[in-house]
Amino acid sequence: MSRPTDDTLEESAARLHVTSKSSGAYETGPMKVVGKSALRLDAVGKATGATKYGQDLFDKKFLFAKVLRAAHPHAEILGIDTREAKRLSGVVAVLIHKDVPGTNLHGLIRRDQEVLCSKKVRYRGDALAIVVAKTEEIAVAALEKIHVDYKPLPSVLTMEDALKVDAPKIHAEGNVLGEKHLRRGDAPRAMREADVVVEDIIQTQTVDHAFLDLEAGRARYDGKMLTIEVSGQWLHEERRLIALALGLPLEKLRIIQPATGGAFGGREDISIQIYLGVAALKLKGKMICLRYSRSESTIVRHKRHPIRVHYKLGAKKDGTLVAAQVTFYVDKGAYASTGIAVMRKASSHATGPYKVPNVWVDVLGVFTNNNPCGAMRGFGAAQTAIAYEGLMDRLAVKLGMDQAELRRKNLVKSGDEVTTGQVVPYATATECFDAVLKRIDWKNRSYETPAPHLKRGYGISIVCFGLGYGDGFPDASRARCRLTPDGLLEVYSGACDVGQGLTNMIAQIAAEEVGVPLEKVRPILSDTALTPESGSTSATRQTYFTGSAVHIAASELKKQLQDIAASHLQELVYEIKIENGAAFNVHRPERRMTLKEIARVGKKRGFSLEAMGVYKPPTMPENTQTGQSMRAFVTYLFGSHACQLLVDTETGEVKIERYIACHDVGKAINPDQVIGQIQGGVAQGIGMALMEEVVMKDGKIMNPGFTDYILPTIRDVPEIECIVLENPDPGGPFGARGVGEPPLIGTGPAILSAIYDAIGTPIRELPATPERVWRALLDH
Amino acid sequence: MFYQPKDIQKALGLKAELKERGAFLAGGTDLVVLMNHGKAAPENFIDLTHIPELRAIHKHNGTLELAGNVTYAQMGKLPIRCLARASLSVGGPGIRELGTIAGNLATASPAGDGSTALLALDAEVELTSVRGTRRLPLEEFFLGYRKTALAPDEMITKIFIPTNYQTDWAKNGKRGAMNISIVAVAVAITPKKEVRIALASVAATPIRCYQAEKFLAKNGLTTETIRQAVQSVRGEIKPITDHRASADYKVHVSGVMVRRLLESLVKQ
Amino acid sequence: MKTKACHPERSEGSQSFGRRRKTAEILRSAQNDKSGKGRLWSLKFTLNGKKVSAQVPPTRTLLDFLRLDMRLTGTKGACLEGECGSCYVLVDGKPMNSCLMLAPQVQDRDVTTIEGLAHSKKLDVIQQKFIDCGAVQCGYCTPGLILAAKALLAENSHPTREEFLAGMEGNICRCTGYNKILRACEQAADAMGLKK
Repeated sequence: MSRPTDDTLEESAARLHVTSKSSGAYETGPMKVVGKSALRLDAVGKATGATKYGQDLFDKKFLFAKVLRAAHPHAEILGIDTREAKRLSGVVAVLIHKDVPGTNLHGLIRRDQEVLCSKKVRYRGDALAIVVAKTEEIAVAALEKIHVDYKPLPSVLTMEDALKVDAPKIHAEGNVLGEKHLRRGDAPRAMREADVVVEDIIQTQTVDHAFLDLEAGRARYDGKMLTIEVSGQWLHEERRLIALALGLPLEKLRIIQPATGGAFGGREDISIQIYLGVAALKLKGKMICLRYSRSESTIVRHKRHPIRVHYKLGAKKDGTLVAAQVTFYVDKGAYASTGIAVMRKASSHATGPYKVPNVWVDVLGVFTNNNPCGAMRGFGAAQTAIAYEGLMDRLAVKLGMDQAELRRKNLVKSGDEVTTGQVVPYATATECFDAVLKRIDWKNRSYETPAPHLKRGYGISIVCFGLGYGDGFPDASRARCRLTPDGLLEVYSGACDVGQGLTNMIAQIAAEEVGVPLEKVRPILSDTALTPESGSTSATRQTYFTGSAVHIAASELKKQLQDIAASHLQELVYEIKIENGAAFNVHRPERRMTLKEIARVGKKRGFSLEAMGVYKPPTMPENTQTGQSMRAFVTYLFGSHACQLLVDTETGEVKIERYIACHDVGKAINPDQVIGQIQGGVAQGIGMALMEEVVMKDGKIMNPGFTDYILPTIRDVPEIECIVLENPDPGGPFGARGVGEPPLIGTGPAILSAIYDAIGTPIRELPATPERVWRALLDH
Repeated sequence: MFYQPKDIQKALGLKAELKERGAFLAGGTDLVVLMNHGKAAPENFIDLTHIPELRAIHKHNGTLELAGNVTYAQMGKLPIRCLARASLSVGGPGIRELGTIAGNLATASPAGDGSTALLALDAEVELTSVRGTRRLPLEEFFLGYRKTALAPDEMITKIFIPTNYQTDWAKNGKRGAMNISIVAVAVAITPKKEVRIALASVAATPIRCYQAEKFLAKNGLTTETIRQAVQSVRGEIKPITDHRASADYKVHVSGVMVRRLLESLVKQ
Repeated sequence: MKTKACHPERSEGSQSFGRRRKTAEILRSAQNDKSGKGRLWSLKFTLNGKKVSAQVPPTRTLLDFLRLDMRLTGTKGACLEGECGSCYVLVDGKPMNSCLMLAPQVQDRDVTTIEGLAHSKKLDVIQQKFIDCGAVQCGYCTPGLILAAKALLAENSHPTREEFLAGMEGNICRCTGYNKILRACEQAADAMGLKK
């Protein structure tokens, strides 16, 4: 198979039937590895405690580092006195901004954050100094001996305050990170002409990733190479950022990913890697360890953006949508992080799966002295879905129309344009939606409850999600396949498995394509010294991008193996099939050789026995004025959820009775893992909808631990009935699309929709805690 | 310094010597959390987990005697509904194996689940020191926000609970388990048909609602009297607004929970 | 954490000599450190079936002790306030949050960590079911959950759904949504029942 890398979607679509079969001309029959719920390759290590995560690499004989954080949310730094700390017995080094040899700046899109602050702190997580000591206890004690002379500045804690003319400027250029606009048709005019208009303001909350495996790792500089072992989501980008900040040539920096206990976007921004880098570079030859406590992790790490959405939606009497006018006010917190990209994701998903001919969207990103906000599963689209689905419900009530019927009527279909004007050739929103309605038996839903104070509600949501970065960004993934002398298939990729199961995805694709059993595959992942760059584990892109790169590399390698076998066996190459680790002539299966033999023969005859795959499907930038693009995203994902719940109208407590999630994943490379992703995404969505909220006061997080940052327990997640649809995507490996984010995106709106259905009044502020539901009932 | 006495007398001797400089350690569910957060660093520890008699449960003439280190897991199995349910609402299984009733009382958290259940049960505490033993009604034990009647050399050695009360318990939180209560309520009806109503997280300590109790003792339990008692409860409690919920909500939901519990007790 | 040695004789100098001697006696009687300085605790306990002796700073949590001193890193720490269950170990068969225990507290006790569950490379049935059911994703909560299930099933070989929930409610999993975890536990119970 030769996978199209640079052609258009239409062209690649035409090859769908080719790509979804396989490369060998004679190959037939069902797939052997792809589509099977093969056991996770990393599960035994994890279930026995053998797997090593960042913190498991520590040893008492190493040095330990700690980072000093800002004492104020907004202040000038007049001076930092480290003398007393340095005098403390056991302290090896106390480093400040002057000790950072490079630019001392980092930031994923804009380098606006100092590694160690020199002039100013902008939020309470800002770093001022690194202490390295013989033990962690000494390092902690030394932090208290560092004296920072601050000139506190007025803090800017709300977007309103930040936008005032005389507001203190958080950054030199002001308090506006940026704006994003989308203009499609004439929305104001269409709104005036609409028969029915609904309008509301919805406020989403600050959400924490709360992965369990706290930031932890180690680093050492041996004079030639600075090696950092810390979990991230895009090691090669981290390497670039750290190299710049530290003024180090790229080739002197190596980043290795230990096992990673969850990320969810929370490891996209640089964290401890960079401090470890600074410290290790300064203390040549020493292994240095650093870990965050839960509260430090929470106080420092970026969050999901709280967004205030003003949403106005207009329709004809028959329910046909005609106009949407949307304004997003995005609290950026102190630094840019991935904010601009999140804002763009919000605008480009403003009408979700609904066909709206006239859409005007404005997004404003505002700096405050709160925690920086950046990537988290759903990435702007999660907040947006809560708004558009909320408004659809209100429109249905105003029209006196069934909320499912209204939605179904307006769903994008194959060949329709979505918010960005991009034509979606294969839209399966309706299939997903119908599957869910059928499963929950929408027409016969019952509102009978066991007691009068209990009210039942049914909620539905539909997701249409653009996969990958899109917007013309050079988004690419690379992978390399190699046959070892032992006949094992090595697959190299820089992609990070953060727990979601990418390792199996890669191994299963390679095994299927080459024709070897899964246990003969050795995935070698996420080490900048060994593996090619595969882009970030984010944007639901790894199956589609890295899966494809692996597929291409495996396919190329297989051709080489077939060539070797054909010439060695003196058979025709197109009659050579590789199956179960052996190559043979399809007509004379006794004419065969094992992969080990192929490796031996191939090596002798000068074959490389390896192949590289690059997958780089192009997108086109959105027009800066109109936000329109013929190909804003490489492809779209569709899904639909339904939720049945009970509201206790006296206490406001919500009990989910039933939950159904349908996602079209193109092809489930490993169905069990796909279901795991769906169920996990729904659980996080339940958290976001009902309980999770970072509470900030004066720029300080009031609930930085798990006692008060409330996460869903086993009692809060009902059985999640999963429906997996497989309408192949022409651009994905074996037709696969991806599944990471859409399950979370669908959940919040489905739950809020069900609460609205139960109590007849909307929840405008998230999460829908018992108190907020009770207040909504009071307003009713 | 870490001490691990094997009997109560030794522990009391140590406490008498060390007083405030010696911290009792049992479940660690409060103390070690503070230590982990760098907010406590006791000079001396008196570990009580190796004193078997502190885990004992005895019954004498209709009174249950819980030794101080009886755990939530142990109490979760007792046939006293409010105490069992309160205990099973604490944390997860690990916390319930660690956490002890004396620890819950001594911490005197306003949100103390066990404390609140015991208040509704007219529990009495036995405080022991090398100077001797005294017995105190639990109501007199809580003095204020995280303040108790415990002297610096004293240990909570026993808790006495009547077994003939009819009781129930409810807790309001944001999720299905491991909640620090927004509000928790314990109710009890004594053999003399008196009513006890205790609430957590609505004042500086777990509290009783005496006016509501008196009103019900005088007027009996009917739908109407319960309604009026609920009004009284809402007036008697003084919750604050915090990051868990607003005072308004706590006042409201307290009433709902008290009403539901009393109504269900009447039905039983 | 601060570890301070205490010398009551010195700090309470106003007391009579006889009183001081009694004080010292009382204090010493509950220490186990032969040096008398109390800086380290001589810990003896059973770890994963083996008798272990170690000298440990008494303020070290059991979690840190297991991970740093015993080098058993399968026990994880994630919240350090008893709210996530990642640090569960079994002490005399009961699940406990090792982040909330100080190492000397397991003196003479029997401690099982995740590393002690599999016997001669044969996985415990609960471990096997977690793997088979896809209950392992990032894996960070997995050891704690498996031990919670182990304790539950040791006490009750046929738990009801409600009993399963009560037994697993102290463990936070951020990845899986718990469905497969519950299934793994229920299947393990079934498998253990069949064996009997």
